[in-house]
Amino acid sequence: MLSTETLFLLYLSTGFTVGFGHCIGMCGPIVVTFSLNLKEKNILVPQLLYHLGRTITYAILGGVVAAAGSFSMVAANIESFQKGVMIFTGALIMLMGLAMAGWLPHWNVFGDHSKAGAWISKSFGKLLKAKSTLIYFPLGLLLGLLPCGPVYTALLGTARTGMDAASIFQGVLTGMGLMAAFGIGTVPALFLVAKLADLDWLKSRAIIYKVGAVLMMIVGILFVVKGIRY
Amino acid sequence: MQHLFNMFSVGLLTAILLAAPGRISAGDKYQAKINCDLHAGACTQFLSENAVTLEVTPRPVKAMQDLAFKVTLKGKLPPDTKLPYIDLGMPGMNMGPNRVQLKSAGSAAYEGRGVIVRCPSGRRIWQAAVTIPDVGQIDFIFDVIY
Repeated sequence: MLSTETLFLLYLSTGFTVGFGHCIGMCGPIVVTFSLNLKEKNILVPQLLYHLGRTITYAILGGVVAAAGSFSMVAANIESFQKGVMIFTGALIMLMGLAMAGWLPHWNVFGDHSKAGAWISKSFGKLLKAKSTLIYFPLGLLLGLLPCGPVYTALLGTARTGMDAASIFQGVLTGMGLMAAFGIGTVPALFLVAKLADLDWLKSRAIIYKVGAVLMMIVGILFVVKGIRY
Repeated sequence: MQHLFNMFSVGLLTAILLAAPGRISAGDKYQAKINCDLHAGACTQFLSENAVTLEVTPRPVKAMQDLAFKVTLKGKLPPDTKLPYIDLGMPGMNMGPNRVQLKSAGSAAYEGRGVIVRCPSGRRIWQAAVTIPDVGQIDFIFDVIY
């Protein structure tokens, strides 16, 4: 049985290695999209808020799984919600790509023929124009629920920790801490990718910007398709 | 120098954006490496002069559910062989450490419980690396149902 300190270090280092070995490929497009969407604004605070939100969601999941003492039970209950989050993320990436390319005039995403349509258009419009920094925190909270293999694997470990804990409360706290450590570990890789997309030189090249936008649309469509089939 | 850095950044970003669709929608190139049909029953592979049999239940083997893993050893094992263990992973994709600890379940048989997680990429080829301390490691590569 490993000590709690060793476990924290293990989760942190796992997050770090998985970040470079897995997250860059699977979630890199999301942070690149955010970076490009922020255009001339400093990405540091929005990106940190996004990762903070994501890490808090991981920690909450860690606490829930530790309290339940079962990963598969919790996973079965949130599966359909995760599917929705994946579709939402794909739609968001796609629309951000369209907006970046300038092919989405006036944010009339869904048409404004009905009150509901107008509300959805307005809401997505706000998200797409998310130059306001604070929006990245709730986005992180939500996107922390994206289906993700390494997150599942990390949660498996917290379920075991929950079962081995002296009390439910201790198990929940340890589970939350471990998953937070995992989330923090993934930040350097994703932040590095976001920073690469933040180069002034890159953003000032219209053609590169448009190519990036098209690639984002493709990635967004794939996210939606995968979400539907998940 | 700045120019080189810019070129490197563009190259890396393009690779990430281009690689993403491949990783998200990967047709499974590891299909040919499958050496075991765990849905049909137990699988046996040979490590040195030992037969290592892996059985996973319930069948068919599905991701995201509790599974029972059973390893049975036959052959010339050292008398003080330590407990074997199984590392679950996906060939070519870092899914984080997922170890199934096994306990003795009778003569040269070991059992443990674990979960094979689901990858949103849709890839279904998984690998169970059975390690027998001081003897070696043998990989069982199989298909999982999502």
